[in-house]
Amino acid sequence: MQMFGIIILLFLIGASIAVSVIKDLLGAIIVFMVYSLLMAILWQQLNAPDLAITEAAVGAGITTLLFVLTLKKIRGENK
Amino acid sequence: MHNTILKEISKIIIPFIQIFGLYVIFHGHLSPGGGFAGGTILGTSLILYRMVYERERTREKLSYKKLMTCMCGALIIYGILKGYSFITGGSHIDLPQLPLGKPGNILSGGYLLPLNMAVGIIVSVTVYFFFSLFYEGEI
Repeated sequence: MQMFGIIILLFLIGASIAVSVIKDLLGAIIVFMVYSLLMAILWQQLNAPDLAITEAAVGAGITTLLFVLTLKKIRGENK
Repeated sequence: MHNTILKEISKIIIPFIQIFGLYVIFHGHLSPGGGFAGGTILGTSLILYRMVYERERTREKLSYKKLMTCMCGALIIYGILKGYSFITGGSHIDLPQLPLGKPGNILSGGYLLPLNMAVGIIVSVTVYFFFSLFYEGEI
């Protein structure tokens, strides 16, 4: 479990650097969603399943949906 | 979105999402979860319904007035219950309290279950409003 947590942490650092480096906006949103999912797994490993549920629902679900909708709007596409 | 596959699949999957959200809300004082997490899960089911079926059909079932009534009612109930619990809680006023029940049962924990239900309703409707405002600019 210690090893698993370290691997997840390394992925977390990689994802958070990649979000700020990637130029493509849709790609950045998807990487941000991956960051949230990894964070949810890490909360569960840290014995906080309450936060894990909330992070998976809000961070990976609602926030990504709102980001994608905003991206569609600022690109000026009609549906 | 006029897509037959999406409509048929969502008919099956939306009840399961809602049952899971209700489970998380009603077991908020026994297991991980609670009003906020369960309300978000319920809100995602409303969002899926809005995305698959168009605005006209959604307006029949989830009209603005109905949702607003639900949310404001839950907000008022939350305020009354929590205020009552605050006022009578620590100041030795012998007013009737909700029974504590047996630990481990669903109907236990005093004020936690009704407060969780109120928070769940508020959060689900708010999440749905957020989505529809971002999606088409109106509810």
